[in-house]
Amino acid sequence: MQSTEFFFSVRDTVLEEWVNAIFATYPLQTTGFLRSVKDPFTNPVADMTREAATIVYEAVSGWDKKPAEVRQAIDRFIHLRAVQNFLPSQAMLVFYLLKPLLRKHVMPAMQQAGKLKDYLEAESRLDTIVLLGFDMYTKSREVVAENRINEIKNQHAQLVRWAQRVEGAPLSSTEGQS
Amino acid sequence: MAKLPTPQELVASRPELPSEAWLETKPVFAPGNYCYPAKVETMEALHMPRPHEWDPAAEDWNLPENWEKILCDAFEERLKKHRSLKLFMDICVRCGACADKCQFFLGTNDPKNMPVLRAELLRSLYRRDYSMLGKILGKKIGARSWDKNVVKELFYYAYQCTECRRCSLFCPYGIDTAEITAIVREMLHEVGLGLHWIMDPAKNCSFTGNHLGIKPHSYVEIVEMLADDCEDIVGVRPKTPFNEKGHEILFICPSGDVFADPGIYTFMGYLILFNELDLDYTLSTYASEGGNFGSFVSFNMAKKLNAKMYEEAERLGCKWILGGECGHMWRVINQYMDTYNGPTPRGMVTPKSPITGTVFENAASTKMVHIAEFEADLIRHNKLNLDPSRNDDLICTWHDSCNPARGMGLLDEPRYVLKHVVNNFYEMPENTIREQTFCCGAGSGLNTEEIMELRMRSGMPRGNALRYVQQKYGVNRMCCVCAIDRATLPPLANYWAPGVTISGLTELVANALICKGEHKRTVNLRQEDLPHLDEEDEGE
Repeated sequence: MQSTEFFFSVRDTVLEEWVNAIFATYPLQTTGFLRSVKDPFTNPVADMTREAATIVYEAVSGWDKKPAEVRQAIDRFIHLRAVQNFLPSQAMLVFYLLKPLLRKHVMPAMQQAGKLKDYLEAESRLDTIVLLGFDMYTKSREVVAENRINEIKNQHAQLVRWAQRVEGAPLSSTEGQS
Repeated sequence: MAKLPTPQELVASRPELPSEAWLETKPVFAPGNYCYPAKVETMEALHMPRPHEWDPAAEDWNLPENWEKILCDAFEERLKKHRSLKLFMDICVRCGACADKCQFFLGTNDPKNMPVLRAELLRSLYRRDYSMLGKILGKKIGARSWDKNVVKELFYYAYQCTECRRCSLFCPYGIDTAEITAIVREMLHEVGLGLHWIMDPAKNCSFTGNHLGIKPHSYVEIVEMLADDCEDIVGVRPKTPFNEKGHEILFICPSGDVFADPGIYTFMGYLILFNELDLDYTLSTYASEGGNFGSFVSFNMAKKLNAKMYEEAERLGCKWILGGECGHMWRVINQYMDTYNGPTPRGMVTPKSPITGTVFENAASTKMVHIAEFEADLIRHNKLNLDPSRNDDLICTWHDSCNPARGMGLLDEPRYVLKHVVNNFYEMPENTIREQTFCCGAGSGLNTEEIMELRMRSGMPRGNALRYVQQKYGVNRMCCVCAIDRATLPPLANYWAPGVTISGLTELVANALICKGEHKRTVNLRQEDLPHLDEEDEGE
């Protein structure tokens, strides 16, 4: 039995438990809605979470996934976690909630089959994905900060431009710059 | 040896079951989650009740001594005045149909952002004083007493509602949670609690007629500057009539279109279009703002700020008013203007398009026509010479701004216009548009930069739908008829669907409009090269 098959035999169980563990980071009163509604636009948080979890699980399992593909799949999820009320550690650590589930559902069987090294490589792949995600998390926070700066500039853009055109204004030499 | 927490311990921020009932949990005022308070001098200038220094993050908000009586009296007064409020307090059966429809709930996952629970914050206070069962059974049936934490909670959640009314659409009883939010905000103002971002524009509007407080001469000069830009682009300088008496039409738009990017391109579009039509109109430096931040404060403030429209129409002798692309301006006009400021001045008449002869019977009462209706009518009568290929670099989608869409039913006119001025148009998913449109997440005075983080999560459902059409169809432009949207959607798009730009409708109309006497157009209103230029050069 190939290593990937150990992961795929318990895929649905682990994914469900992992996604529910992520939902459990939100208030109890909202988790029922997150679990039950499937529409990607009616329940976007659940959709983003499931999209990320599915691809991450496949990548961790050892399926051939390019970094760009993983990034694409976790992009919305990271963007979401980055602006919700979480500490950076809490936002990102949801990926590590997969580890105890893998150790419970996958590791024993692989250890028994003498494939512990393959299992550990899978865990390392998860570590890589978390680091990819951390780059994206940081970028997301930077965009929030950039947005604040740009918004302040744009609100008065024409006023500044006008002020620069007023005769004798000290800023007139910079006309045309924005 | 100190034990490090496991990842599970770090992330497990809540117990399996809540340790307290939902009404007992208190909001945390962390930076990024709340707006800055209004300045005392602003509140004083507007004669707002009980202005005082306070800080939302502080333990003590320096409420007036008799704050509880003030709030109870304010609540009672409003229950007597608005029969709708009393009805909304009484008839909710907490079915939950609205619960998952709010973009703040979807983005924050905070149960108190379910519209039903947000309203329940007030309803629990109502129950104590106005329901026999509440008086007897108290907490057992969800009644509670006022305390200072309740005031903080009302403030926190009243400003995590954009009054977009998406929840009302799904309520089987038609409860308008936006109206409840508006009344909670009014009540909070009775004890001196208001936002800087709302009160400052309201003050500026009171004193100078527009949100930024730009004086008339500066306002005119900025518009002249935009007219210069139009001349560079089109080759024809549009007229900029200001405060001229005796014209048929008074044009009023949000001042954001004059001062802020990308709204200015929409304003340039107005100038170019009106010039091409040789429209008999004037602008006003007094009514230089259609937007009404008073509507985020109180009904009285909204009425006061809105009054200048009719007053100016009367002073200038205009017969009707053409309104620009603004959101809450149209909510106020469509829902409240008649009772606020009506009846219209005697000289005003039911609007009739001087170009097509169409009589806008729908505007018989307010005498105000929306620019999208006006443009759709022109196109329907083939009065505009349009070349939509000038917008071929754009793959567009349409964002139904909450107020024009849900507040006044303006759904098809802007789409009709857009489809005639662009060749590439794709709708976002149907449960995110038209009546079900998702708010930008920052309307009703929440478009301030200090809560950018909150805005990114409350705007997530809109950003998510936009991202979907961006990836599926290559959409790179989202259009709308709301100045607040034009301010709030660029950062939202930059976060959720980077690469998508935002514009008003009339900007694209003017791009496509072939004007009499124009020179060879090489750039659009943003001074970007027009598409197909290379092909034309090759043809020549």
